[in-house]
Amino acid sequence: MNYLDPERLDRLAREYVLGTLTGRARRRFERVLQQAPAAWQAVHDWQRRFSVLAAGVPAMQPRDAVWRRLERRLFDPAARAPWWRGLWSPRTWTGALAGVLLCVFLLRLQPGLIGLEPASQALPQSYVGLLLDASGQPTLLASSLRHGRQLTVKVLQPVSVPPGRVARLWALPKNAPPFAVAVLPPLPAKGSVALALPDSSEKLFFDVPRLAVSIEPAAAVAPTAPAGDFLLSGHCVKLW
Amino acid sequence: MSAPDDLASLLARVALHDRAAFERVYRSTCAHLLGVAFRILNNRDRAEEVLQEAFVNVWHSAGGYNPSVATPMTWLINIVRNKAIDALRSGKAERAATVALDDEAMDLPADGAHQPQQLLQDSLVKVRIGECMSALNASQRQALALAYYRGMVHTDIAEALGAPLGTVKAWVRRGLDKLRACLEAAGVTA
Repeated sequence: MNYLDPERLDRLAREYVLGTLTGRARRRFERVLQQAPAAWQAVHDWQRRFSVLAAGVPAMQPRDAVWRRLERRLFDPAARAPWWRGLWSPRTWTGALAGVLLCVFLLRLQPGLIGLEPASQALPQSYVGLLLDASGQPTLLASSLRHGRQLTVKVLQPVSVPPGRVARLWALPKNAPPFAVAVLPPLPAKGSVALALPDSSEKLFFDVPRLAVSIEPAAAVAPTAPAGDFLLSGHCVKLW
Repeated sequence: MSAPDDLASLLARVALHDRAAFERVYRSTCAHLLGVAFRILNNRDRAEEVLQEAFVNVWHSAGGYNPSVATPMTWLINIVRNKAIDALRSGKAERAATVALDDEAMDLPADGAHQPQQLLQDSLVKVRIGECMSALNASQRQALALAYYRGMVHTDIAEALGAPLGTVKAWVRRGLDKLRACLEAAGVTA
């Protein structure tokens, strides 16, 4: 089935936005969205058209409690319900069971996690990138465990990102055009931030000898090419 | 304050985790967005939950908002509609698993002014393309309105309107074709 036939794409996009594309077809189309900018474009076009239909929906003032709950949830982690309140819910027990199964699974995969393997003095298998600025000063240190899906970025010297723009990390593979890895969260002047990777390090960086950072307008869709010159760039190495 | 370009710059500040900007986005859009969620869920508590979830999402993903592809309202409505439709369908699945399938699809509020078809008419009139209504025949209007405002899928609509599934799919498809033609002819880009 050719998803990229524009007419077909348009029919799928509109039923997707309307909500009448369901089940497996919906999930398949969501996967297409991840890969095809043309699909995103079709979806955006229909979102814009449908937003006209929301114009006549009567407004309804939410109760004050909605904002208070939202504030508490986002900005006041200490105010969450005491831990013992949810102890007896079936959800807790399902969660606990899932946790046990996950531990078993992880330990089979990586027995070293709780010391079932002889401890090694060596650094763990990781990908490490050192990003330099134009004058060659080390600026960011990016690192991620080989099979991990989290990237830690240590700020070695402050990076200034103008308001309304974002710093985007790019991978520059050996034999392929650069691809966008992730938008970096706001960087502190000093210290580290962690971000989620779209896939495991191994899959993303296996064939990537260099990384780079560009400053981009904040965008819903990862661009296929950097907006301008790279602000930072450097080598990406395998640590094993 | 609710001018689209103001909202766009507020969202840019939310992307940088500016709490004051976040509150202003919430205050200026929450009533409209709750209206959208309420139409789909037909329940104030659930609609407010969806609104809260949607704004958690806004706080975390405002960096992904791109003013060149959507107005802020289009972006926000889309987040809220997706969450509301998810909530509607997961709620339905839960109920279907525990009790006999009810005919919730038919359980529309009695308030005639807010019937889906009326909402469609009001919306088109509001953006000054009321004549688009006449481009759609009655069945296409009904099918489209039930899908958009109630989050119904083809089978729900077929049941609600007592029509065969294939016919309903055709109504939705042709309704959308006509809607697009009409919006384009009127130069509405929202």
